[in-house]
Amino acid sequence: MAAENSKQFWKRSAKLPGSIQPVYGAQHPPLDPRLTKNFIKERSKVNAIPLKNKKASSFHEFARNTSDAWDIGDDEEEDFSSPSFQTLNSKVALATAAQVLENHSKLRLKPERSQSTTSDVPASYKVIKSSSDAQLSRNSSDTCLRNTLHKQQSLPLRPIIPLVARISDQNASGAPPMTVREKTRLEKFRQLLSSHNTDLDELRKCSWPGVPREVRPVTWRLLSGYLPANTERRKLTLQRKREEYFGFIEQYYDSRNEEHHQDTYRQIHIDIPRTNPLIPLFQQPLVQEIFERILFIWAIRHPASGEDLWTFFTFCFTEEDVENFDVTNLSQDMLRSIEADSFWCMSKLLDGIQDNYTFAQPGIQKKVKALEELVSRIDEQVHNHFRRYEVEYLQFAFRWMNNLLMRELPLRCTIRLWDTYQSEPEGFSHFHLYVCAAFLIKWRKEILDEEDFQGLLMLLQNLPTIHWGNEEIGLLLAEAYRLKYMFADAPNHYRR
Amino acid sequence: MAKQYDVLFRLLLIGDSGVGKTCLLCRFTDNEFHSSHISTIGVDFKMKTIEVDGIKVRIQIWDTAGQERYQTITKQYYRRAQGIFLVYDISSERSYQHIMKWVSDVDEYAPEGVQKILIGNKADEEQKRQVGREQGQQLAKEYGMDFYETSACTNLNIKESFTRLTELVLQAHRKELDGVRTRASNEMALAELEEDESKPEGPANSSKTCWC
Repeated sequence: MAAENSKQFWKRSAKLPGSIQPVYGAQHPPLDPRLTKNFIKERSKVNAIPLKNKKASSFHEFARNTSDAWDIGDDEEEDFSSPSFQTLNSKVALATAAQVLENHSKLRLKPERSQSTTSDVPASYKVIKSSSDAQLSRNSSDTCLRNTLHKQQSLPLRPIIPLVARISDQNASGAPPMTVREKTRLEKFRQLLSSHNTDLDELRKCSWPGVPREVRPVTWRLLSGYLPANTERRKLTLQRKREEYFGFIEQYYDSRNEEHHQDTYRQIHIDIPRTNPLIPLFQQPLVQEIFERILFIWAIRHPASGEDLWTFFTFCFTEEDVENFDVTNLSQDMLRSIEADSFWCMSKLLDGIQDNYTFAQPGIQKKVKALEELVSRIDEQVHNHFRRYEVEYLQFAFRWMNNLLMRELPLRCTIRLWDTYQSEPEGFSHFHLYVCAAFLIKWRKEILDEEDFQGLLMLLQNLPTIHWGNEEIGLLLAEAYRLKYMFADAPNHYRR
Repeated sequence: MAKQYDVLFRLLLIGDSGVGKTCLLCRFTDNEFHSSHISTIGVDFKMKTIEVDGIKVRIQIWDTAGQERYQTITKQYYRRAQGIFLVYDISSERSYQHIMKWVSDVDEYAPEGVQKILIGNKADEEQKRQVGREQGQQLAKEYGMDFYETSACTNLNIKESFTRLTELVLQAHRKELDGVRTRASNEMALAELEEDESKPEGPANSSKTCWC
């Protein structure tokens, strides 16, 4: 029973103590490697006392707990029973993995930054994580003396993207082998996608419970309406749209330093490096340039909006095209395709939620209000609790709406969430409201346990979702669907 | 429940995007600094209890996003602030010039008698400096504010500036403060205060311990 499951899950979730806690999504970017050493001491002092009950609330905890975002099952024995290996026997798999790693190591330029972080599996087979992750693990072990961590300096830094790509397949239970059902699903997708005329209704139906990573890029391009359902038209459409995008670049991009666009460009330039600092990919100059172009073009054609959404979308497309990832290794053509496709798909998506990002953000204010009304109907106790302690929905839900929960959830969960949003009619503009309501109610116990304004705000701005995976998102979406079913077509049902 | 603080009030951080508001706050509340950081969406919240003049002051600090597009949201927070940090970046002439605009926003949206303090952040970036120290001082004088050059990176003047603004707010509310002080020295009254605390401490019903 789902309720039983979710109960168990919530037991696992950490409750935030009332002390000052780091704000995930705002104040806790990765450490600068150059500064790390100096700050470890300070940090360990800070963390020394409350550590035990601080569960997953410090940045290092966060970092450690999200280390699986970069490499699923890294700490588990099941490491190599993950989907990509499931058809091989384990010896072959391990040997192959070792070989792949060796190849990667030859490709990598900065092996000195690398580290292995676990000891459960023979170190030589361990897959290394992103550079930020490596730093984070180092810190966490320094600070927390986590004895299961075992340092090893010889492995190469692993390319980031394939790892990021894999996170979307993560199951909360720890990356079990692909089930027969999953295999059947993937087959079904392949079949749909390769048919002469892709049945979009069917594709949406299949995508609602999650899109397999292997077919996600093409599925998303189709669901967004960018790629034609008819396979014959695809090539030409892509070609035309890509040319059109680079036409914009030629036409507008040089004007970025002109006076009337200066402000726009300056803001983009400031924002890009701090949009996704946890993901080293976004710190690569080439990638930042891509975003600057995409955002600039979009901004001058639309009112400015949340960069988070853009960066996220773009890198989801890179999965498809990139196996051994280092942006500089990508062909110019491939990069250009990703850039242009991201621009168009994201534009389509944002068109649906444009009033979120126009002056005064009326869409967001409206949605926050709607959330308040909805919650007052579905969980009066929580609603009254907020009123009692004078917590306003805008104080926490603004970000939920503005960034589509991206800042509240691990990346792998956002990807999974967007599979559904793109298959649900008005997913981003409407269904998201129900997801937010379900998300809030998930924390009802924690919320009701907090008995002052500060505690509530600290909780709501730092909800401990770091352990979340597909399982939790699946439950969340099911609950959201139930709410939508009950309330969406009966506005008086939730309007007071 | 043991009494955790005597008074409570709200401080607000405003200023251009990227001047280091979040970093100032992180340094103050958590003693942390990260050179790369994630942009603030709307408004974030932190708090800390400090002791000033023998009084335990719990400060709620609202950290606002500097981007123009969020200003409809962020301005809603001015109304309930007792103290405001106006922050610019000494390596950005532009952010300094914009202080004028931020001050006029404060005049328009914040309550009368709100305490203000001017902060020139990133003082460690001497080689990139575009705004002289005297310029900061002059501007502060013009607006009748205290002024600090700070660095969240090197932890320069962080505690000092937060403490100073706290003192200013305390001074501005001296009358109520005396009440708290008297009661704090009196055991009976102390019990009363504790009782107060078991109740919600939102702005409306905390008139005794919070000036809102």
